[in-house]
Amino acid sequence: MGAAVKLARSIHLVSAFWTLGLAIVIMIDVIGRSLFSMPLPGTKEILQNSVVSITFLQLPLAIYSGSQLRTSIFADAMPPFGKKLLRTFAGILGVGLFVGLVLSTWQPFLDAYRIGEYEGEGALRVPTWPVRGAVLVTSVFGTFAYLTMIVLDWQDKLNPDLSAPGSFLDQGAD
Amino acid sequence: MGGDIALYMLGLLIVFILLGVHIGVALAICSALGVWLMVGFLDTALSILGNTAYEAVRKDVFAVIPLFVLMGDFIGRSGAAGDLFRICDRTLRRLPGRLAIATIAGNTVFAAVTGVSIASAAAFSRIAYPEMKKVGYKQTFALGAVAGSACLGMLIPPSVLLIVWAVLTEMSIGALFIAGLLPGIMLALLFTTYVIIAAARNPEIAPPFAEALVPLTKAEARSELIGGLGILGLVLLVIGGIWTGAFTPTEAAGFGAIGALIIGVIKGMRWRDIVEAIFQAGRTTAPIMFLLITAQMYSKLLAFGGAVNYIQGLFLGLGADPWVIIAMMIVVWIILGMLIDSVSIILLTVPIFAPIAMALGFDPLAFAIFGILVIEAGLLTPPFGLLVYTVKGAVPDPSVTLGQIFAGSTPYFLLILLAALIVLSMPWLSNWLPALMM
Repeated sequence: MGAAVKLARSIHLVSAFWTLGLAIVIMIDVIGRSLFSMPLPGTKEILQNSVVSITFLQLPLAIYSGSQLRTSIFADAMPPFGKKLLRTFAGILGVGLFVGLVLSTWQPFLDAYRIGEYEGEGALRVPTWPVRGAVLVTSVFGTFAYLTMIVLDWQDKLNPDLSAPGSFLDQGAD
Repeated sequence: MGGDIALYMLGLLIVFILLGVHIGVALAICSALGVWLMVGFLDTALSILGNTAYEAVRKDVFAVIPLFVLMGDFIGRSGAAGDLFRICDRTLRRLPGRLAIATIAGNTVFAAVTGVSIASAAAFSRIAYPEMKKVGYKQTFALGAVAGSACLGMLIPPSVLLIVWAVLTEMSIGALFIAGLLPGIMLALLFTTYVIIAAARNPEIAPPFAEALVPLTKAEARSELIGGLGILGLVLLVIGGIWTGAFTPTEAAGFGAIGALIIGVIKGMRWRDIVEAIFQAGRTTAPIMFLLITAQMYSKLLAFGGAVNYIQGLFLGLGADPWVIIAMMIVVWIILGMLIDSVSIILLTVPIFAPIAMALGFDPLAFAIFGILVIEAGLLTPPFGLLVYTVKGAVPDPSVTLGQIFAGSTPYFLLILLAALIVLSMPWLSNWLPALMM
């Protein structure tokens, strides 16, 4: 179990550093364009594909750390067992969504890989399968994460839920 | 028919959210379910999920959110907010309640380098509150200043809420950023006026004292100079860059993040702090981006069923005065503010409310700033005001209760609503500066 969380942390960290990388790419592009009239080719493509990848790579940790945004107004009025039932219900819907994502991104990914789908113009062609693949793989991971959270919950291995809604709370407290 | 299904899904969505289902998950599931019911094919519903997941945030402008959050996290951990607070304290020596005013002034400037109010609330809970307590400020008064003025973070650009609003309504992010400036300054002045009046009428809530908080030693002067000039430079770079058209918002965000990192390093951030800032910025960003994706599934549902027109028809069919409809929106926003976070509120309501307001003849920029203000006010209301919880979590004083923070922020809550109404009835406040943009 620890291995999955560790993996989620690692890919989160990679994508977080990737964000800083984007800042550097933007800077090179702007400086190149304004000082040497030489913009960095493909900056737009890099940015747009990175945003999707970064977002999905960060999802597994968001699920494990309970930082998906939600409200606990109803749960707060419930006994612990009721809380657990509600969390399980939320988890099942989470599994449902990510299974749906896996089912619906699987075929486009295969197609994109097979026909070598790309986007961008001229010399710069960005294949689309890596990003489609990232969405697919993290959706599989997301399904697994929601499933394991349900199991861990029933094994009483989760930290008690934070009382307030929103994941930002733990950031304020650290 | 489609409108009915969309309305049922809206109801189901509210039930799911109340039951504690993750808001993004609830949005996506209800959208897929709604489309399935409307067209009768599970495949179509699923393909909307898959396509939106891949396409929704696949535009370079969406990079602004992670980048601005990153900039805020760097600057928040650099200690520059403390410099800012002490500079404001030194400059405002003569005013009654000056530490509370320094908190407001510090927040106003700090807001121009962070994208989320939570960051400001956490920073000033640690910096300003202990100082106010030390010199004998009444607890509720001090806590109110911290929680209330943190709302400025969402109004003064860069702001994640403004970005999300612009994306949903297809407005220009740059114009909306600039539109928030004057109302933000007005709100800061309203807060300051309140503090001066309250402290002058009731000196015991904010005992006056003459000397500055920290004597101006050489080291202190150096620190304040670096922090102050650094933040000033960053504000000029980001807001000035967008205003003059030198940068797109995405480019401004990229430069801002690097600039904030440089300030952090000069102020003594080490490798561990830097990694921590990058890591935490990711943790703030991921849930917001996920919501943005699922919210686009939800707007597809609304569009599919013609639900926006349907609901618009319901509202406008009432034949009520435009201000009555605005009052209903305020009520909805404040109630939602008690339950969920502000990004979710915008995603749920703005696709429906903004077209109604436009049909009623309200100005788009003014309505946007108005909406952000009301939604931010919701962060100060019990039982779940997010800012209040953040302050409680960050304040280094276990004796503080949530009730005290709620009580202290009530005047700020009222002032924010007042500011919202002023902005809506005087559209030039939010239109003047964007019109001057180059």
